[in-house]
Amino acid sequence: MNGEEMTAWWFVLPSFALLMIFVFYPMLQAFIISFQNYNLVGGTRSFVGLDNYRMLMTDQSFLASLRHSFYFAVIVIPIQTSISLGMALLIQKKVATTGLFRTIYFIPVVVSTAVAATVFKLIYNKEYGLLNNFLELVHLPTTNFLSNPDTAMNGVIMLGMWKAVGFFMIIFLAGLNNIPTDLYEAARVDGASKLQQFFRITLPLLNRTTAFVVIITTIDAIKISGLVFVLTNGGPNGATETAVFYIYQMAFKQMQMGYGTAAAFILFAIVLVISLVQMRLFRNQDY
Amino acid sequence: MSRIASFFKYTIMIILAIVSIIPIFWMISGASRPYAELFKYSNSFNIHLFVPVHPTLQNFKDVIFNERNPFLTYIGNTLFVASIVTVLVLLINAMSAFAFAKLRFRGKGVVFALFMSAMIIPGEVTLVPNYLLMHNFGWLDSYKALIIPSMLSVFGIFLLRQFFAEVPDEILEAAKIDGASMPRTFLRIVLPAAVPPMITLGLMTFLGNWDSYLWPLIVINDDKKQMIQVAIAAFSSSQGTDWSKILAASTISTVPILIIFLFLQRYYIQGITMSGVKG
Repeated sequence: MNGEEMTAWWFVLPSFALLMIFVFYPMLQAFIISFQNYNLVGGTRSFVGLDNYRMLMTDQSFLASLRHSFYFAVIVIPIQTSISLGMALLIQKKVATTGLFRTIYFIPVVVSTAVAATVFKLIYNKEYGLLNNFLELVHLPTTNFLSNPDTAMNGVIMLGMWKAVGFFMIIFLAGLNNIPTDLYEAARVDGASKLQQFFRITLPLLNRTTAFVVIITTIDAIKISGLVFVLTNGGPNGATETAVFYIYQMAFKQMQMGYGTAAAFILFAIVLVISLVQMRLFRNQDY
Repeated sequence: MSRIASFFKYTIMIILAIVSIIPIFWMISGASRPYAELFKYSNSFNIHLFVPVHPTLQNFKDVIFNERNPFLTYIGNTLFVASIVTVLVLLINAMSAFAFAKLRFRGKGVVFALFMSAMIIPGEVTLVPNYLLMHNFGWLDSYKALIIPSMLSVFGIFLLRQFFAEVPDEILEAAKIDGASMPRTFLRIVLPAAVPPMITLGLMTFLGNWDSYLWPLIVINDDKKQMIQVAIAAFSSSQGTDWSKILAASTISTVPILIIFLFLQRYYIQGITMSGVKG
């Protein structure tokens, strides 16, 4: 090995060691543990084959947690993607005010999950919460979103979108800035309306960006946990237990490491399949 | 654009801005009110819904000097961990990024592919084995468990490699001819050329650590060593009704981050843009 090669290896070594120890080795371990009955407290560890996976398939609370995660994803993907694209379009033109609006729209992204969830707990409060206060003002029915199992997930969704739209707005903004302006000029000369320009130029050319946004939103939605921990702690009546919340409960509350890890693997498989399918879908209609 | 359309557009923009900012504004104003006043104006829409009638700093004092929930300690802990992680992330991943961008070595393609493939492995899958690893190393309840596994940033390597690749080879050649060693070239020439992406990655890492919740919740049990997010969440569920103090604690943990963001937002947004456009 020559000098350059030696140096290169020394430069890569620290991160490579971290990659092996904290990513690939745990991944391998996770695979093994998912076939075990592993209880950390009792110190027992035995091979059970596919039992964990088989049990998970009929475990009602696990299936319910997956449903909650999917519900979150199905609601959030179209709404959040359209809002963030809309925001990006609103502030696309570079004038002094748009910079200010961009900063304001982005602030919720910076506020930490625990703080946002804590403040929203109070905003959702039936008697003196800001949201119900507003609903009352416009003569809509008020409700404590979080204590009703039917609406609690919607409360989580609203907070989730409040916190995330700014992030995706920035990604759309970057995508919009990559569209050559002469395309619009040509369209204008040809007499295309704003609406036609949007559907014929903007949307098709944003395809890659939209694909990225949808895939990341899906993955985030299915892995949602932090907001749930602080906002509802899975309640009321398990209505907001999501898949990652369930994994945490199993592995670290009930100390069923094997069972929890098998659930995590199922989640991983789902996320992987969904993102592969989405990538394929979006690629097929490439322009 | 016609006047009506423009008016309509600005109305929407302002409504969106209000929705974005009101919870935070309301948190800060609520934190500066005496408890008796907090809900007094909540059923009406007058100015005092947002502006305290008798502004006070008492809630902040109570939260800061509370012996059982020393919020300055939590903030100190989090600052300590987040700063160390940020420095190490920058150093370690910049080194790798430099090797991948500018050095020739056998197996480079394969090793780089290994790094990139790690992007699809979600932390949730390796949560249990990583916890067991910390358990076996005896690192539970110690900052090593928060710092060492967080030092790797595959995204960081990806991001910095793009920038390092743009440093002209001639400069590196010239340094070599002048007798500079590779580490010296890296420290003196390559790193200074990459200050903006380093700030970008540093800010993203710092904010990410400031926000981290699940991992500290799992590996840190000692209250005095806890991170700010876990402390806030625990505080708000244990205090239940004392909303003034909860809002004060939330404000204390948010305002410094907001200030950092406002000063460095260009870099933070650049990092997000990078992840979307090139991803």
